[in-house]
Amino acid sequence: MSEGDERRAGEHIRTTPAESHREREIDHVLEALDPDRERPHDVVLSKDLSLSFGENRILSGVNIEFRRGTITALIGPTGCGKSTFLRTLNRMNDKVSGFRYEGDVTLEGASIFGPDQNLLHLRRRVGMVFQRPNPFPMSIRDNVVAGVKAHQIAKGKQLDVVAEERLRQVGLWGHVKDRLNDSPFRLSGGQQQLLCLARALAVGPEVLLLDEPTSALDPISTELVESLLRKLTPALTLIIVTHNLGQARRASDHTMFLYGGKLVEHGPTAELFERPKEPSTEHYVTGRMG
Amino acid sequence: MAAVSGAATGGTPPVAARPPTKRDPLLQRIRSSVWANEHHLWGWGGRISAAAPFVALVLTVLVLAFKAWPAVKVNGAHFLIGTDWKPGSTYGAVTYTNGVPHPLGVSYGAWPVIVGTLESSGIALLIALPISVGAAFALTERLPRWIAEILRYAVEILAGVPSVLIGLWGALTLGPLLANDVYPFIANHVPDVAGFSYLKGPVGHGEGLLTSGIVLALMIIPIIASTTRTLFAQVPPLPKEGGEALGMTDWEVGRRITIPWVRSGIIGATVLGLGRALGETIAVAMVSGSLLATISPNVYGTMGTIAATLVTQLDSAFVDGTGFEVRTLAELAVVLVLVLLVVNILARFIIRRTGNLSVPLGVGV
Repeated sequence: MSEGDERRAGEHIRTTPAESHREREIDHVLEALDPDRERPHDVVLSKDLSLSFGENRILSGVNIEFRRGTITALIGPTGCGKSTFLRTLNRMNDKVSGFRYEGDVTLEGASIFGPDQNLLHLRRRVGMVFQRPNPFPMSIRDNVVAGVKAHQIAKGKQLDVVAEERLRQVGLWGHVKDRLNDSPFRLSGGQQQLLCLARALAVGPEVLLLDEPTSALDPISTELVESLLRKLTPALTLIIVTHNLGQARRASDHTMFLYGGKLVEHGPTAELFERPKEPSTEHYVTGRMG
Repeated sequence: MAAVSGAATGGTPPVAARPPTKRDPLLQRIRSSVWANEHHLWGWGGRISAAAPFVALVLTVLVLAFKAWPAVKVNGAHFLIGTDWKPGSTYGAVTYTNGVPHPLGVSYGAWPVIVGTLESSGIALLIALPISVGAAFALTERLPRWIAEILRYAVEILAGVPSVLIGLWGALTLGPLLANDVYPFIANHVPDVAGFSYLKGPVGHGEGLLTSGIVLALMIIPIIASTTRTLFAQVPPLPKEGGEALGMTDWEVGRRITIPWVRSGIIGATVLGLGRALGETIAVAMVSGSLLATISPNVYGTMGTIAATLVTQLDSAFVDGTGFEVRTLAELAVVLVLVLLVVNILARFIIRRTGNLSVPLGVGV
């Protein structure tokens, strides 16, 4: 990609040359301090990826890179392969009978399908939040630290600390601090989804996949989740599948449009929505198709 | 008929309208009377069906208790704590205690068979529960579908094998085999620690507590396994996928998500199996040794259970001219019902305790 750093494309402000010089200096210092500076810009890269179930080809020839610390929205009509693509990124499709892939996906330069790739470790690095809240049948606290326990990241009293920190991070601590040992199923749908988000964040993922995370939630909870996602960057790279074009527009930096088994178009969100290059993209984002 | 179906399937409806049957008073009366009859049928059918099990249970217990009451008056508390079983001199003089006739020198103590019942069923449960849950888990989650289908069928057939066949096999084949090849090995290799002394000592000839437990386990595994399999099949995929996506192993997903999801159901299935084990009669009578007044000193020794005692003693009980021994057996049966009742109440208690975190009805299904 040669667009430069358009991570916050909308936030450029006109400045005097002196100010801009000073800003560049600050940027330079910040860049030097950035722990990620030695690492490639693109966290996840999909190279010529084709996915199929048995004879049924879902996607073919997807080439795309996901920028570190950005939010990418995957849009497209139902059945276009958005979810299949997303679930391939942490190999959730491995178990589905008949699933085949061609091409490759790399995470930090290493193929996720490689022989030395530990599947469990990969899933710790690439977390996932699902369409509907899916709390585990255990207490609220145990839900948050379920992954932490499984990966033996912390134990004993540390778990309480992790639980509190993550619940605070998703803004749920105030609601549940007095009932950490209660069933999560008594929480509202939105709260359950936040709990699942806290659970996914607790293992410290680098990439978070969200499969229509707000499709089962009311508008207020949706807004809450969206604003939360924004706060998770740039520490995390988010990839979000959504049917909600408004959400893609509001919450993402990049958007990719899948249609007819192909990646039709991708680019900065504002650009894709304002000046789509492909006619089918324009049809979809203007609501004439979908 | 042809005309009606023609009108229903034909492209354009016929021009002539149908007669206005809705207004026909006769048809309406027929309709409403059919409806009323159905209504009554369902109402009464439902009430009778719902009440039948309860009435049957109450009647059974009442008849037994009525029959047993004189024996309760004579045997007293000794019946629950005593360890002897003496029918007295059946051909001697009849004596009276509290106005109840009985042979001279009777002394009935059911404590050994109560202990035997609880022990053998406990062992059966210890063996059957992990195997059943493991089998159910493998059938739903691990094995290829065609193998699972065959095994599922096998489990259901095992559930239908008459207990007398299993008892015969246990007495003729399994018991001797275990006594010759397995029990000595266990008894000789168990460490000399205080808690394990129960597993040491003489191993007998194959009739006894552990053999009964194993035979009972075989009989309740199909019950627990098939119920648990159905439960596992109903666990929605989303929570399991959530566990996988978090980097849990399949084992962790099973242990932390799938099994807890249906925990109360598994407890229910276990109680069903335990009820069967506590009440199982003929197979235990064949492999336990059917002793009356002996608590086995170790896990291999011969013993008896309440149900086995009922079936093995009934014949000789009729010899008692006063009918007292039969009444005593009825009292023993009441004790068995009480044991079952306590087990069920205990299970409800456990379900309520663990139910706090379980899944509310309708979630994710």
